[in-house]
Amino acid sequence: MKSKHVQQFTSILLIGMVLFSCSSDKSDKSIKKMAVVISTMNNPWFVVLGETAKQRAEELGYQAVIFDSQNNPSKETEHFDNIIVSGFKAILFNPTDAKGSVANVRAAKQAGIPVFCMDREIDANDVAVSQILSDNYSGCVRLGQYFVTMLDGKGSYVELLGLVGDNNTWNRSQGFHSVVDNYPDLKMAAQQTGEFDRNKAMEVMESMLQAHPKIDAVFCGNDAMAMGAYQAVNAAGKADKIMIFGFDGAADVIDAIRDGKIKATGMQFPKTMAKTAAEFADRYVHGERNFEKKVPVAVELVTKENVSQYAAYGRAN
Amino acid sequence: MKKQKIDISNLQPLIALILMAVAMTMMSDHFATKDNLFNVARQISVNICISVGMTMVILTGGIDLSVGSILAFTGAVAAGLFKNGLEIEGMNLFVGTTLFGAICIALVVGVFLGWFNGLMITKFKVPPFVATLAMLTIARGLTMLYTKGFPITQLGGQFNYIGTGWFLGMPMPVWISIVVISVSVFFMNKTRTGRYIYAIGGNERAAILSGIKVNKVKLFVYMIAGALAGIGGLLVTARLDSAQPNAGMGYELDSIAAVVIGGTSLSGGKGSIIGTVIGAGIIGVLNNGLVLLNVSPFWQQVIKGLVILLAVIIDKIQKEK
Repeated sequence: MKSKHVQQFTSILLIGMVLFSCSSDKSDKSIKKMAVVISTMNNPWFVVLGETAKQRAEELGYQAVIFDSQNNPSKETEHFDNIIVSGFKAILFNPTDAKGSVANVRAAKQAGIPVFCMDREIDANDVAVSQILSDNYSGCVRLGQYFVTMLDGKGSYVELLGLVGDNNTWNRSQGFHSVVDNYPDLKMAAQQTGEFDRNKAMEVMESMLQAHPKIDAVFCGNDAMAMGAYQAVNAAGKADKIMIFGFDGAADVIDAIRDGKIKATGMQFPKTMAKTAAEFADRYVHGERNFEKKVPVAVELVTKENVSQYAAYGRAN
Repeated sequence: MKKQKIDISNLQPLIALILMAVAMTMMSDHFATKDNLFNVARQISVNICISVGMTMVILTGGIDLSVGSILAFTGAVAAGLFKNGLEIEGMNLFVGTTLFGAICIALVVGVFLGWFNGLMITKFKVPPFVATLAMLTIARGLTMLYTKGFPITQLGGQFNYIGTGWFLGMPMPVWISIVVISVSVFFMNKTRTGRYIYAIGGNERAAILSGIKVNKVKLFVYMIAGALAGIGGLLVTARLDSAQPNAGMGYELDSIAAVVIGGTSLSGGKGSIIGTVIGAGIIGVLNNGLVLLNVSPFWQQVIKGLVILLAVIIDKIQKEK
């Protein structure tokens, strides 16, 4: 009796789901489709990247679909498998992993579907048509230089790293240290991870403030962590003593720089990268084959002096 | 109802917590300060809220994997309603909410999602692991839909007071967790439903035969777990001044760890709220202490895992004696 209920319930549910998904998948040969594969839609930065790519592709006359890899390379492989069999013209691609994603791009290339990488790099030169990349390392070199100027070359600071298994975490950290480590009077009191997460960063910062109450600055590997660090510093009543530096160009950090709560961030341009990728893909579909293998998109330093020129994730209009 | 005898084995987690605190005090000058201890208490308050609910669920022999996602959704609902109100397009209706209203609606949402879990488990006989695993994705998806993937920030001082304010010399989150602990300890030990929860986990068939309305009790327990996840969501949101769409990811694991370290048996029937609170304390002291000592992030994860194993092994040995 009971198990019959369950069976009925599940079968109705499954049929419903199948019908629901069918109605949204009318394949019409005359419509050109473009796939947007994004590493994770759980982070606003990547949402902006994905949505902008989709929007630009639609403006260019394509039907665009976003695939969320959920930071999982095997999920990404499934998406590529599906895309390859469903007649997409091109893939605008934000990889989950520099090495793990290469095979996916190669499979697409063999199936004759061009791939354009956005923001994150893959470790192979011959498979993607073009890679439009954010220059994390140089961006953090610039941030490091500003950091040294603001601290006058002396003092102690802590660093909040992103996810320790992520390429960009180390690109950013190394860019920063390539400058800052040349100043012997600048001492790093502690280096911990905030996992690119606002809450985690706040909690770690609270603890670090206990161990190192006299620090002068904190360098954060992204803006979510910078906001978390600010919450901790502010709650400890040290907002005017500790300088905070972030990276990304998120909306609330732009506001915080304007208000003097955060000193600086490295502005990345997800919208620029996404639009460029969509336009490249469109030109490829129309027959062009000459593309730069790598197009670096510079990261710009945003400080209180120039913050008026910027808005969230890009320049102010 | 007879008072429970104090058993040495129940004190095991407490001894571990004291030993760890002593070790941290010796290794770092910054651990045993008033500021830092409040820090730890504030940091574990969210885990305590969730874990109290988790303890009840596990005592009935179930599990709730959805708490982290429910936390994110309730936090987002509270923040969204408070900041933007509720706009119903088509009907041209706009409802603004006060802080109190937003909090109440968010908690109702938490209770409702918990009720849904309970319904699937009791009515449709879906195993708790599967039912709440499904809710883990459903509630996360609802959060993404509601926030469109962006954090809801700048909620203002009134809202943030719940997370960052002080009251009579103690941080607000600590007060809230004390209230949650007191009420639930009373509930578990002094009310009939509380004792039923132990009975169901100990032997479900015997409980049914002795006339306990098992399904009703279970449904209620999952609703409490949902409500407590909701309180956790309010705390996280208020502390960050922001409802993050990916808040609470992996919290179910921290919470299960707290319950297990606290000596509650995963097969149900045995354990206590106080044990879980101590378990959450051990995890909190560990998180805080490893950062104070500037232990490498790589090692921190290894150490945390080992501590969980150690706590459970000691507990097992103690109970077998």
